[in-house]
Amino acid sequence: MAPDDAPRALFPEASAVSKRIVAATPTLQRDIVARLGRRPSMWEEAYAIYAAAGDARPLGHVVVVEEIGKHRPITFAVGVEADGALRDIVVLAYREAYGGEIRDKRFLRQYRGKTMAAPMLPYQDIINIAGATLSVQATGRAAHKAVAVLLAVGDLPA
Amino acid sequence: MRLRRLLAGALSALMALPAAPASAASVDELERTLQALQGQMESLRKEIQQMKQAPPAPPPAVAAPPPTSPAASPAPAAVTPGPSTAPVGTTTTTTNVASAPRDTQSGVQVIPEAVRPSWLTDFRLGGYGSVRFEAADTPNVGETFTYRRFVLAGDATIAERLRAVFELELERFTELEVERTAPSEDGARGFSQSIEGSNHSEISLEQAWLEFALTDWLKFRAGAVLVPLGRFNLNHDDNRWDIPRRPLVDRGAPVLPSTAAWTEVGMGFTGDIPTGDLGKLSYQVYAMNGATLDTSVELFARASGELEAEVEISPHRGTADIDLKHGKAIGARVAWSPGLGDEIGVSMYYGRYTPSFLPSEAIWSSAVDGKKTFGPFEIEAQYVYTRFQGIDRVVRGLATQVLEQALETGLAPVNTTIEFELAGLADTKHGYWVDLRYRFMPDFVRKSFLATHFENPTFVLVARGEQVWLRGMVTETAFSGGVVQAIERENRLVNRVTLGLAYRPVPLVVFQLALERTWTDHGKSLAGVTNFIPAERTQSTQSALLFGAAFGF
Repeated sequence: MAPDDAPRALFPEASAVSKRIVAATPTLQRDIVARLGRRPSMWEEAYAIYAAAGDARPLGHVVVVEEIGKHRPITFAVGVEADGALRDIVVLAYREAYGGEIRDKRFLRQYRGKTMAAPMLPYQDIINIAGATLSVQATGRAAHKAVAVLLAVGDLPA
Repeated sequence: MRLRRLLAGALSALMALPAAPASAASVDELERTLQALQGQMESLRKEIQQMKQAPPAPPPAVAAPPPTSPAASPAPAAVTPGPSTAPVGTTTTTTNVASAPRDTQSGVQVIPEAVRPSWLTDFRLGGYGSVRFEAADTPNVGETFTYRRFVLAGDATIAERLRAVFELELERFTELEVERTAPSEDGARGFSQSIEGSNHSEISLEQAWLEFALTDWLKFRAGAVLVPLGRFNLNHDDNRWDIPRRPLVDRGAPVLPSTAAWTEVGMGFTGDIPTGDLGKLSYQVYAMNGATLDTSVELFARASGELEAEVEISPHRGTADIDLKHGKAIGARVAWSPGLGDEIGVSMYYGRYTPSFLPSEAIWSSAVDGKKTFGPFEIEAQYVYTRFQGIDRVVRGLATQVLEQALETGLAPVNTTIEFELAGLADTKHGYWVDLRYRFMPDFVRKSFLATHFENPTFVLVARGEQVWLRGMVTETAFSGGVVQAIERENRLVNRVTLGLAYRPVPLVVFQLALERTWTDHGKSLAGVTNFIPAERTQSTQSALLFGAAFGF
């Protein structure tokens, strides 16, 4: 799936979608780290943030983020509701040799409704995929990072 | 100044939107466009407000992406570090998705692409390794450290849909030294050659294949592939398991035609087929050279004219070049995953196992395996059945070969005794293992060094039960005058129970503590039915304490 198609997939009821590219400046990175409580496994150069609206009211946002699985970056589009809860996640690019099962809808469905406070970790609140534990953990980190980005740029209320 | 640049940039971005003719757009489309523009203007208004309130920006610590036009490029905005209720000043471009340009138009700062390509041409090195301490009540074992293996793995994305993977295993291997000399003595020149290496060690290519992904459900794979028989052979990496010894059916008293990790050279297909609410179906199917009997013969000619031959026979992975059996094997596994963490698999293997100088006989194996997850509990199991057809004919054929070899060497024995050292040959072999696991992390440990530096450390309580039945196991054959007089056979059973505790600071690293007890039929030796316990002649039990460490990277 192309990044620009992700908002329609995650917010199919949206009547308008706008896109914003936010550079990952050092100050923004510091803010994200403060909100996450740790450094992410990698930094993007910029974040594509999509705002989805329907019936003249905001529905939520989609943020494109990346996290390292075992060796390579996995690209996620994370849908976040206007109240900060996760709508859903789409894996835009999976580059690892093993562990591609995290792209399955039935796996990603587990993240729906989770908030920044959820651990999103295997054996805690996420059912693990054997042999893909690192990619499973990366998915949780990506979800946390997406919400942190939205908080940092002011698209979500703190 | 910054404000003016931002406004200029925003206006340019808005102007870059395609101006669709009113006649070509519906009222709904125009309304949606208007809403999007209003949203963007509101967002810009917020940012302008913040900039007015924010103090002047210090120079950025890291150079920002270069502007296209010095006059029109805004500097990156300053942000107060730490959590803040106020939105952070950022460098942004805003566009309507439908018209999102690859690059911003002139007047707006160029911002790097937010998304990298879906595939990258690259090569990554990884691998795994494991070491174990063992204290056993078998005198020949005692207490010992075992360097189990170090496996260097690599995977390359060659192009989109094309990738290659390899795994090179160094098992119990620490050194290999070859010396060649040409000493001269009394004017005569000779040659000497010596090879030194670590005992019972090997260097082995565990995997080396190329994959062409036509679709998710059809991927062509060619090379040295793991035989898809049971789940352990496919998931054999030591750091994946919580007990520092491999299961009997896969390794110690192998029911698999060859010990795990069992690799064969071949070609085939693999893929995943989503079945909607019914879960997911996965398959692997390969045509391969296939496992073959590996024999070594030692002859002893007695002064009495008696000939003794020791024949060691063991099924082994097939050849990597000319197939000496002249018969290909086929292996396949189908797995169905009805839900996350759950899987059931069925697999089979069929092929000729005798080299061409012996009668053509087939081996066939089948396996059922599965895994079920209940929250922190897991149960994982595998059952394998293997049948070697025509063992009698193989034994007679081997005996004839030994006799012919003896005659060629000029020996004409009155009586010949051939002793077959069992190394995994029986009419049928079957067995299973069952792992029960419970994952936990006590609260009092969460603040200790075992947990504070790691994202998701875990303890695992594990219990494993396993049994292997060997039916019609050939132990000794005697014949004279080229005629087999008797083939001695045994039925044997091997049991093992293991209790363990594992600590995983990160998913790739595990420290394993385990207590195991292995036993076989009373009064019989474990040495004859396992390939890792050098037991005494009548030692039928072994208890051992194991501590292992395994890692992946």
